[in-house]
Amino acid sequence: MGLTLVSIFIVSSFSAVLAAILVIAERVIANYGECTITINKDKHITLKGGCSLLEALTSEKIFIPSACGGKGTCGYCKVTVNEGAGQLLPTEEPYLSPEERKNNVRLSCQVKVRNDMDISIPEELLSVREYSCELVDIKDLTYDIKQFRMKLIEPADMSFIPGQYLQLFTPKYDGNTEEVYRAYSISSDPKDKGYAETIIRLVPGGICTTYYFQYMKKGNKVKLNGPYGEFRMSNTNAKMICIAGGSGMAPIKCILHHMKNTGSTREAVYYFGGNTEKDLFLLDEMKQFEKDLANFSFVPVVAKPEQGWNGEKGLVTEAVLRNEKDLSKAEAYLCGSPGMIDASIVVLKNLGMPEANIFYDKFS
Amino acid sequence: MPNGDIMKRSPQTQKLEDFLHSSKLVAGGFLGTDTRPLAEIIDADLSTLEQLGYTTGQIADRLAEISDKAKEGLGTRVKISDALEAVTQENRGVLVCPWPHEGHTTKTVTTLYHLPSGDSIQWADMCIHLIREHGFFQGHGSVFRIDPEKLVKIIFS
Repeated sequence: MGLTLVSIFIVSSFSAVLAAILVIAERVIANYGECTITINKDKHITLKGGCSLLEALTSEKIFIPSACGGKGTCGYCKVTVNEGAGQLLPTEEPYLSPEERKNNVRLSCQVKVRNDMDISIPEELLSVREYSCELVDIKDLTYDIKQFRMKLIEPADMSFIPGQYLQLFTPKYDGNTEEVYRAYSISSDPKDKGYAETIIRLVPGGICTTYYFQYMKKGNKVKLNGPYGEFRMSNTNAKMICIAGGSGMAPIKCILHHMKNTGSTREAVYYFGGNTEKDLFLLDEMKQFEKDLANFSFVPVVAKPEQGWNGEKGLVTEAVLRNEKDLSKAEAYLCGSPGMIDASIVVLKNLGMPEANIFYDKFS
Repeated sequence: MPNGDIMKRSPQTQKLEDFLHSSKLVAGGFLGTDTRPLAEIIDADLSTLEQLGYTTGQIADRLAEISDKAKEGLGTRVKISDALEAVTQENRGVLVCPWPHEGHTTKTVTTLYHLPSGDSIQWADMCIHLIREHGFFQGHGSVFRIDPEKLVKIIFS
């Protein structure tokens, strides 16, 4: 027993010393000097090598979506590295498809800047900014969904395309030792440029949602960055079928604001599903949109209604099937769980909608 | 056979325990307020499970079966049996297994309601993986800790 403990102690000590030597060697010996990163064959940034590509870009105010703060556990911070990335690391492999590996897509938090690099990122990421804000309103929408409204302080305004999302920062707090970012769709009126609003559903064990639900109060400071994402309304005049549930309300609400602002006469039907009537929210706002928009109707759908409910019953997909006929010329805008989106796609295609006309923001 | 039954606190085990205690992946960490060594937590739960006559595979299979059925409800409550109803909440992002391998799941949380008692339990898809692959039901005080005894009593109702 004694011999075992001594052996474990010796092995542990040896490992610790070795690790310390490696860390010191990394800092002292591995001097990579100045490295230049070329972005989209156009922009050049020069910095001291040794940091991760994600850190390098962030230091230059180029924000790549990342939920885990660069720890290699979310797989969001993908960029295409055309030259200079070195070998693919085992820590990246779980997050990259064969197609992505073939196309030199890498996790920027895992790739180290050791030499000059040539990378490609979506052009819109170059306009992403970090904002310091003040939380000015928290509204309870259901028992587990809240709406948070932030006043933008620095910079003082944000331009975004309806349907895009932002990333909210969560600092360390009691019970949480990590700083993380989490993505939430913007729900606010796009013409209200001095504010950002989002709708958040409490996730059991969720680092960010626990913080915003339990610790955040009106007047608190908030850090966020954005806008991100390609979910947006098309420029056609096709009939719109919107389907959402829970916090999936956010981007659809934002799109409706935009339609109102632009005087859109486009035909649109919004199916919003919940388990019971208690899961429905913003009903007055939706009624107001029905009045303000020439061809908009809101269809709340309840799976298990109480007595007296006169609206649509069952799953949201069943309501679409009951109410819609030929959708071959229509478009769909979906936001919610992967299960809801997958089921909606099946129903929409059965009603004749081409897959290319189905746009979605999947929670995955 | 779960591979979580590491009897000695090797540097790897210590690293894993530190990771499980941290809130890198879930708020409050996978071990919650439990101060017992990981091996002790796992052994105690596996022993309870053995006494109840179940394996981790059977528990994981049943949890997966309930979650799969609940997912068909698209966020609404689904009947599992005369005594049980379940609902899933699918959230943005993925959860990565804290053990050093490639396991990861979506952030889907299933809530199971035991109608006769009014009791309910919750698990994430990652919990199913942790039970099946690592025999790990998580520490006391963690968000998704479910005592095997309570779990068995409810999920097979």
